[in-house]
Order: sequence, then C-alpha cells, then structure tokens
Amino acid sequence: MTINTTRNWLVGAIRWFDPRARQVGTWAFSLNRITALGLTLYLFLHLIVLSQLAQGPKAYDGFLATIKSPIFIFGEFLVVAAGIIHGLNGLRIALNSFGIAIPYQKQLFYGLMAVALIGCAFFAVKMFLG
Amino acid sequence: MIAEKSSPKSGENVWLWLIKIVSGVLIVVILGVHFVVNHAIGTGGLLTWQDVVNYYSHPIVPIMESLFIILVVPHSLIGLRGIILDLRPSRGILTAINWLFSIVGVVAVVYGVWLISVLASQPH
Repeated sequence: MTINTTRNWLVGAIRWFDPRARQVGTWAFSLNRITALGLTLYLFLHLIVLSQLAQGPKAYDGFLATIKSPIFIFGEFLVVAAGIIHGLNGLRIALNSFGIAIPYQKQLFYGLMAVALIGCAFFAVKMFLG
Repeated sequence: MIAEKSSPKSGENVWLWLIKIVSGVLIVVILGVHFVVNHAIGTGGLLTWQDVVNYYSHPIVPIMESLFIILVVPHSLIGLRGIILDLRPSRGILTAINWLFSIVGVVAVVYGVWLISVLASQPH
C-alpha cells in the first residue's frame, strides 16, 4: 500500500467522525457503524470472558466482584446504550430497506432515538443506582 | 451535480444482506430480554453464578439464548464484512476475510451453544 493510499484510507475513516456539513442521515449511518464496531468487539470479548461461567461459582463470582467497579459498570452501560441505539436504528434501516416509511425516515430516526434515550436512562438508573 | 448511478460494491451479496436484516430484527427482541435479565434484575444489575444457573434451568432460556448466539454472531460478522467492503479490499483479501469470518463464526456459535448446554445442565 502506498503512502498516498494509506493517507486516503485514514482520511476516509476519520471523515466518519467529522461533524461539519453533515445531514442527519449521515449521523445515523455513522452512529450505526460506530455502535456496530463496539458491539462486535464486546461480543467476542464477552464470549471469551463467559468461559468463567463454565469454571464454577468461585471463578465466576470472583470475576463478578472484579467487574463491579464503577469503570466496568460504566463500560457495561456503554454496551447497553450501543445495543439499544444500534437495535432501534437497525429497525429503521430494516423498514426503509423494504420501502416502508421512507418519506418519514428522518422523523422515524428522531423518534427511535428518543426511545433509545429513555431506554438508556432506564438502564443507567438500574445499573448505577442498583 | 451529476447524479451517479448506484451500483453494488464488489463482494456484496443480497443473501448476506437479507440474513443481516432478518437476524437484526430478531436480535432486537431477544437482546431486549437479555439486557433486562442481565442488567435490570439483581443487585447492581449483574447475576451471580447461581442466578445464571437458575435462569438457565427454565427450558425456554437455553433455546432463546442459543437462538441469540446463532443470530448475533453471523449478524455481527456480516456487518463487519460490510464495513470492510467500504474499504474496497482486493479480491484476495476479501476471500481471506470470508474464510476467516466463516471459521470464527462457526467456532463462536459452537462454543456459545456448548457453554449454554453446560449451564443448562448444572444442578439448580
């Protein structure tokens, strides 16, 4: 890969996060991609870590004690938030992909993200306040 | 502005797209249950080992969680492949990615279902 190709590739990737002159559709696209990457990474880490379950109560409960620290709970909350956002945005994409509610896709996005906000607030209360 | 005709990227596949869409819709339902059980029940939202074993003792739970893993692993890998397609990989790299994701996907699903069966077989 030449230096110019690498530079173009990097510039293209960074543009995902560039908020200037973006329409809401681009934000929805970027949000879906970013949450997808986070969730995919978490999924495979989650599968590896859950091997603790197969080792019995001492191993798993000891592991749980480690991850009940605030930083881990915050990380878990980010995963839950990403799942809610990605899932609801994905429902909009599924509907639009089959030609449903295309003229209202912006309103649908805003409405579903409002629902996502409520869902995130619910889990934030449950996870941080017990 | 010249309107460009939209055309599929090299490597795109309508069946993979359909699997991703259908699995995604099903995942939303199951993930909702998964999140509530694992994060909204119990002290601090996380279950102890015994809570997990008790949860998996309900006959429907291993079936639901197995279905979840069978849906979510392909969904995530097909989605990741879609992101990689945007980087316009060469045919050789795409072939290697297809093989890698297929192997990782099968291993992840088999391992996940195995883990679920271990939990479901624990005394509660």
